Amino acid sequence: MGANLGVRRVATVRPDDEAFEALFTAEYARVAGIANRVLADPHEAEDVAQEVFIDFHRLHSASAQYARAWLHRAAAHAALNRLRGSRRRQRREVAQAAEDSTQSIDPQKQVEINEDRRQVRQALARMAPKPAAVLVLRASGLSYAEVAQALGVGTGQVGTLLRRAEITLRKEVRRGSFI
Amino acid sequence: MAHLSDGALRLRFDDPEAQSADARHYESCPECQARYKTVAGDASLITSLLATPDVKVDVASAFDRVRSAPAAQPRFGFRLPVLQPGRRPLVLAFATTLAAVALLATALASGDNIFSPKTITPVPVTVADLESLSQLGAYGDLTWTTRPNLQIAASASEAQSISGLKPPSVATLPTGVSSTVTYAAMPKATAVFTFSKDKAAAAAAQAGKPLPALPAGMDGAQLTVTVGPAVAAIYGNLNKPSSGSDLTQANLPQLIVAESSAPVATSTQVSVRQLEDYILTVPGISPQLAAAIKAIGDPSTTLPVPVPIEFGTATRVQVQGVDAVALGDNTGVGSGVIWIKNGVIYGVIGTIKQSDAIEIANHLT
Repeated sequence: MGANLGVRRVATVRPDDEAFEALFTAEYARVAGIANRVLADPHEAEDVAQEVFIDFHRLHSASAQYARAWLHRAAAHAALNRLRGSRRRQRREVAQAAEDSTQSIDPQKQVEINEDRRQVRQALARMAPKPAAVLVLRASGLSYAEVAQALGVGTGQVGTLLRRAEITLRKEVRRGSFI
Repeated sequence: MAHLSDGALRLRFDDPEAQSADARHYESCPECQARYKTVAGDASLITSLLATPDVKVDVASAFDRVRSAPAAQPRFGFRLPVLQPGRRPLVLAFATTLAAVALLATALASGDNIFSPKTITPVPVTVADLESLSQLGAYGDLTWTTRPNLQIAASASEAQSISGLKPPSVATLPTGVSSTVTYAAMPKATAVFTFSKDKAAAAAAQAGKPLPALPAGMDGAQLTVTVGPAVAAIYGNLNKPSSGSDLTQANLPQLIVAESSAPVATSTQVSVRQLEDYILTVPGISPQLAAAIKAIGDPSTTLPVPVPIEFGTATRVQVQGVDAVALGDNTGVGSGVIWIKNGVIYGVIGTIKQSDAIEIANHLT
């Protein structure tokens, strides 16, 4: 794993360091993807992903059975917390609008897409953490079993939680406009 | 068959092949088919609204950044905010006290019997006494067969899954204590301490003191000590950061309620009396501490709680029908109560009145 990453090692490598490196390599893109699903900002998403791994590494063993589930949940919650920071959100929207304006699609269509994105993420920020996380984790490609592990619920509950969360999200979006 | 639940319909959107019994009902039920259209429509719309381009990541660079992040605390350890230096000496004293419990438990392990404390007794000590006890570590080799791994848990259920213990729940919090709670948990840890005559001689020589005479069989004697599992509920606004796990910038907690399986120790080659006598000859232990330890009734069933006399007072009280040791006073600066019941050690410690600590202890669930 170390050779793949080209990381120089210090003299003593503990078994858990190797396990952490393997975990990082396997999960970093996915953790960043979860954060990006919330933030729609790849740079900020990577910031969140790295903070999540740093926190994990300081406090947990990479060999722990719950490691992946912990990372997935932490990524969703950390990104949602960032989303709730209004100043950051405003900066992100300005940056995203500037980025989108450089793309060559129908300007009217782009305006509508931007508005939908803005509204759905504002709505996510207003939702309770658990239903918001269900939506984000599933939209990020996690299986029902992985979503269940991340949120500490039974796999059989995920469909119900998803449906309720989608209803809630629609209501929240309607508070600002209409889907 | 009843109509499909919303959850089953939502699952059908993601996995049309799932649940064959549901599928048979669905094929013959116009109502479920109509509901499915609504469910699928919402799911499709929200999936598209949440869609984002994939993040193009450079894993190697990201890993370098994570590895070079400042190590603000032990990488796999856990530092409770109460251990931050220079703050709240009384609380620090309590933490020191608790840390010393395992040491004394080790020291008083029985030769023929398993040390399994059933009651608890205060032993007044000075900080110098505690430091002198730590010298025992230089008299042999300590190895962990299972290292302590104290972790922050994201929820009570996660704390329970880590420790196997249900986190304690306070019935009514004292006025002024935040209801914000953080959980910490630790699986069982096991250490083996092997006495070494050579190491003991070297340690004594370094201290410029004569080596206490080793009882027959002491050289090579092993103590196996198991501590935990343990779980704690930590109340107070700890200023948790976004991901909810880094406590390096945390405030002091207002209240810690902890429970741990009582330490269990077994020893080989030496008896409890030999061990006790030997410990009391270690250089630096005061005559007062020696007298207090000798006064303990049955050391194989009594857990001594060292109480630093500079910082607090200890009184015997009753909690949940068993003997307990109460520390501190009613000023609200800091107090705690520790007791053993059914093989489990409980502790309630915080910047609260002693009467509040005892009240919490009596109504702990």
